[in-house]
Amino acid sequence: MSAPIHIPMVPSDPMEAWTARVNGAQFTELAHSHSILLDVLRDHVGTLGVKRGCDMGTCGCCAVLVDGEPVLSCLTLAFEVEGKDITTVEGLADGHHLHPIQQCFADHGGSQCGFCTPGFLVVSAALLDKEPNPSEAAIKEAIEGNLCRCTGYQQIVTSIQEAGEMLRNGLTGEDRTEAASDPHPVGPDEPTLPPGDAR
Amino acid sequence: MSKGYRQAPSGSSDKKRKDGKRIAGKQDFGVPGSGGSNPYSELQDIERIPNSQGGQLEQPRGPHVHDPHITGQTIGKATPLVDSRWKVTGQAEYGDDIRLPNELVGRILRSPHHYARIVSIDTSAAEALPGVRAVSTGMDSVNRFGVLPVTKDEHAMAQDKVRHVGDLVACVAAESEEIAIEALSYIHVDYEVMESIHDMEDGLLDSENPIHDRGKYHIGESNVQKRVFQQFGHTDAMHDAPFQSKSDWTFAGLHHGFTEPHAVVAHWDPNGRLQLYTPQQVPHYVHRALSSVLDVPMHQINVIRTFVGGGFGGKSDPFPHEMCAAILAKKSGRPVRINFDREEVYWINRGRHPSRIQMEVYADEKGRIAGIETDALIDGGAFASFGHVTTYYNGVLHTSPYEIGGFHYTGARVWTNKPASGAMRGHGAVNSRCAVEVAIDDVCEQMGVDPMTFRLANLLPPHCRTITGFRITSTGMRECLDEVRKQSGWDDKFRKMPLGRGIGVGCGFFISGSGLPIHWDPENFPHATVHLQCDMDGGVTVHTGAADIGQGSDTAVAQAVSEVLALPLDMIRIRSRESDTAPVDLGSYSSRVTFMNCNAAIRAAIELREKVLNAAWEIIGYHPDSLVLGDRRIYYKRDPAIGVSWLQAVHKAQADTGSLIASGAYRTPPMGGVHKGAAAGLAPAYSFSAYVAEVEVDPETGFVRVIKAWAAHDCGKALNPLAVEGQIIGSCHMGMGQVLSEEMRYGRTGHLLNPDLLDYKIMSVHEMPEVVPIIVESNDPEGPFGAKEAGEGPLLPILPAVVNAIYDAIGVRVNELPVSPDRLYSTIEKQCRKMGIKDPLDLPNPSFEPSALQADLENRAKEHAHRDLQRDLLKDRSSYVNGVLFGFDPDRPLPEQSEGWRESVTPTPEDLADPKKRAARAWSHVERRKRRDDA
Repeated sequence: MSAPIHIPMVPSDPMEAWTARVNGAQFTELAHSHSILLDVLRDHVGTLGVKRGCDMGTCGCCAVLVDGEPVLSCLTLAFEVEGKDITTVEGLADGHHLHPIQQCFADHGGSQCGFCTPGFLVVSAALLDKEPNPSEAAIKEAIEGNLCRCTGYQQIVTSIQEAGEMLRNGLTGEDRTEAASDPHPVGPDEPTLPPGDAR
Repeated sequence: MSKGYRQAPSGSSDKKRKDGKRIAGKQDFGVPGSGGSNPYSELQDIERIPNSQGGQLEQPRGPHVHDPHITGQTIGKATPLVDSRWKVTGQAEYGDDIRLPNELVGRILRSPHHYARIVSIDTSAAEALPGVRAVSTGMDSVNRFGVLPVTKDEHAMAQDKVRHVGDLVACVAAESEEIAIEALSYIHVDYEVMESIHDMEDGLLDSENPIHDRGKYHIGESNVQKRVFQQFGHTDAMHDAPFQSKSDWTFAGLHHGFTEPHAVVAHWDPNGRLQLYTPQQVPHYVHRALSSVLDVPMHQINVIRTFVGGGFGGKSDPFPHEMCAAILAKKSGRPVRINFDREEVYWINRGRHPSRIQMEVYADEKGRIAGIETDALIDGGAFASFGHVTTYYNGVLHTSPYEIGGFHYTGARVWTNKPASGAMRGHGAVNSRCAVEVAIDDVCEQMGVDPMTFRLANLLPPHCRTITGFRITSTGMRECLDEVRKQSGWDDKFRKMPLGRGIGVGCGFFISGSGLPIHWDPENFPHATVHLQCDMDGGVTVHTGAADIGQGSDTAVAQAVSEVLALPLDMIRIRSRESDTAPVDLGSYSSRVTFMNCNAAIRAAIELREKVLNAAWEIIGYHPDSLVLGDRRIYYKRDPAIGVSWLQAVHKAQADTGSLIASGAYRTPPMGGVHKGAAAGLAPAYSFSAYVAEVEVDPETGFVRVIKAWAAHDCGKALNPLAVEGQIIGSCHMGMGQVLSEEMRYGRTGHLLNPDLLDYKIMSVHEMPEVVPIIVESNDPEGPFGAKEAGEGPLLPILPAVVNAIYDAIGVRVNELPVSPDRLYSTIEKQCRKMGIKDPLDLPNPSFEPSALQADLENRAKEHAHRDLQRDLLKDRSSYVNGVLFGFDPDRPLPEQSEGWRESVTPTPEDLADPKKRAARAWSHVERRKRRDDA
């Protein structure tokens, strides 16, 4: 057997400025010409919601939207999407108002361990953006590139259908940070006695 | 009306004492109230309160010990996971998302050889590379570790030899990933390659260089890691039974296929304590292993469980890379993060054992199961992992749900030069369960009996003892079978569909928590402990060590506390991440979390509830026995207008002690037999399930498609039906993957051919059929609110259901998994050749002619249904042991009642006489300490 050929791993080319809009904000980062979009998003932009599952486009955990189209960020060079508009899972919610797809994944069991969830969310958000009332076949086609090991997909499909329903009705996710009124500020019309005043 | 606890605003405290100091002001609490985001308070959800407590919830199986604590809050309601919002917003931090300041990236050098002695390692060139901060080899860590104390055979990095391709040799920490990978290529390792073994049967033979050396406990000179022999009942007489099914199965190895690759971050904090962030199912075992590997006391280590991106058993061992990260972090003085790529995930493996199982099921002329004889040889790969237990589970977990006349089991686990096998969902029970259920189908075919009826007529009743001494409490097996029979339309479909279309049934049985903890004497320590803390805000913080791996254990524990205290779920905060703050817990495996942790949580909550009720007593003057906990409000049972808010009562209770603290623990009751190995498979409760699968098989291509599955699982009580259904469907997904496509394929030279998700075929959304999850609630007397496990058991029945459905479709029995089209087609070809058929489409479609036995069994099933109900409701409290169906008196020792009834766990030479059995050959070796060859 011949000696293995040594391929240097440490890049020698200089870094260049890479610019894109990520979740609505302009980012300029230094990247190599061969940098992978997934690495740039996770390590430079800081959107750690984009998950690394397999590095070879088989699991769909790293999916992001580029100009609204689902793309596997582990198979995309950062410079391929230079100047484009990128949406990650962090960009789906409107402030504290969850996107309906997020709300429904949370409420209908679409997410168990949650690692594949960001990929599923952006892909199905893109689907619902185009077609708020997708057929089951269309849903399956949209998420066919995403692997989920926990749910068996059934509750994911339900979640997407429910989210479509919400979108069609113009509903958005609830905002849990808003102050909630309290049912018993001092107890509801009850003949309470001052603390410690035993009867 | 009184203003309750709301006190004068702080402005009024602007007074000074005579000595000039300020009088402590009375502070307002800001937003007053009793908490929770639900603005509407319902006093009680009467529909969720059981009959026995004056509610409307029907209890067909009678009252439960936890009924008085049901307040109608969350139990039995579909509850989204409490951490789901972290997950859907991308804020959940998994292993690789932990980024610490000034961190380094670690990478691992792995063995390119199956089996080799390490002659030398030269790391000087790597250390000299700019940007490299630390390099470590096996010399830095000589202590052994392993998940089971009896089989510690792993090291952080190879000591003298590497045992499989991908075994850890050295590791590097550097400023960047690129530099770390580059540095690995500068480490020069001299190997002396040895002859490796890859076939599990070779592991049974004597070897010049056994993969491990266990000293005096080594079994001869072989690679046998563990062997088990068990013989119970009429093991000789069963061979004369008129109906016999003998099969020889091959099961491929499997990987868990979780989506999150392993990752770990280690950091020695400025105080010299190790902080280890890892996605682990069992942080406590890592804690112990780190302590012994690094020679650091346990209190100097804090293990922080990150979010876990799927476990399924694959993240329950302490792993060598966790040790490596700690060693590199210590050497470099900086935090070190190691994250695996997908290929490395397969090198560390711990998936389902490749197995060869010889299964013999015997049935007598009365339609009873005269006996089961199993021989299971399992391929452990290069390390022990959980294998000791797996070897037992392959046998002992099919002694139920049926009553059997005899049980003969020989099992062996061997080392081979493959990545180690370990625990995977349905640990050890899945493969042998498939073989048993398919054999039962075969026996029914011979007898001319509907397999549904046969099963219903041979079930063990509730509150009984199995042949090896397991204590069965609740069982919903019968109801599961009835439900799937009804919902799938079984009677109209079985053996009645055209060629290529088939339906099959399979049953399952699994432990709900392991009766004996791995690490300590159960007499001295509980299995699970939960602490509750309730401070002035009225919310309750739960400290537990149970690891949420996505199955929803945090949610289940929160639900248990919320239910007892009648608080909305968002007032319960779970702190389950850090070993510093969590009481010791044995983690998420053996389907133990819901059963054990929720039981501990309920006990803690009851203690807290008592304190708050006593305070309410002081305020409103009614004894706690006449008080009701409503939603954030405590009131007098007869007049709900008289009461106090939760917060008022809490503040009253805190008057003397400050924060309210409560603690609860759970330990299993004493049970089980006393023979060697009696503890394996022992559990405080067991789950049962029955599935029906309908398939479409193309006889011309061997392609199988599952059309629909009906999945009934007895989980005792569904605390969270949403999660239970998710577990059932997810289990079906994983099980169908094993039966149809998933396989770790090893090539001719022993190399793993598919260490990636492209070639390791996990079912995508297109292959996944519709699954109808059916929840059966048997209300376990010891389970929390009656609950049992729902995470692993639901996987078991789908395999035999699909295999039996394939037979119904084309009349071909397969005995090799996965049933890939090529495998099935070659089986079809063989069948055609045997029958002299040219076109596979001419294969005879199996038909069903009920024999005279069918009516007998239907009658027996009916009688037994009545018997089971009486026992379930405790109207019949007589003792019942496996054997009563064969005419034994349950109150006398069975061996005394029959000459032929045997109970033995050590084999005699006659027991192992059958030369065709594989695992039995492991007894041809004598353990070294018993050889006395030094004499």
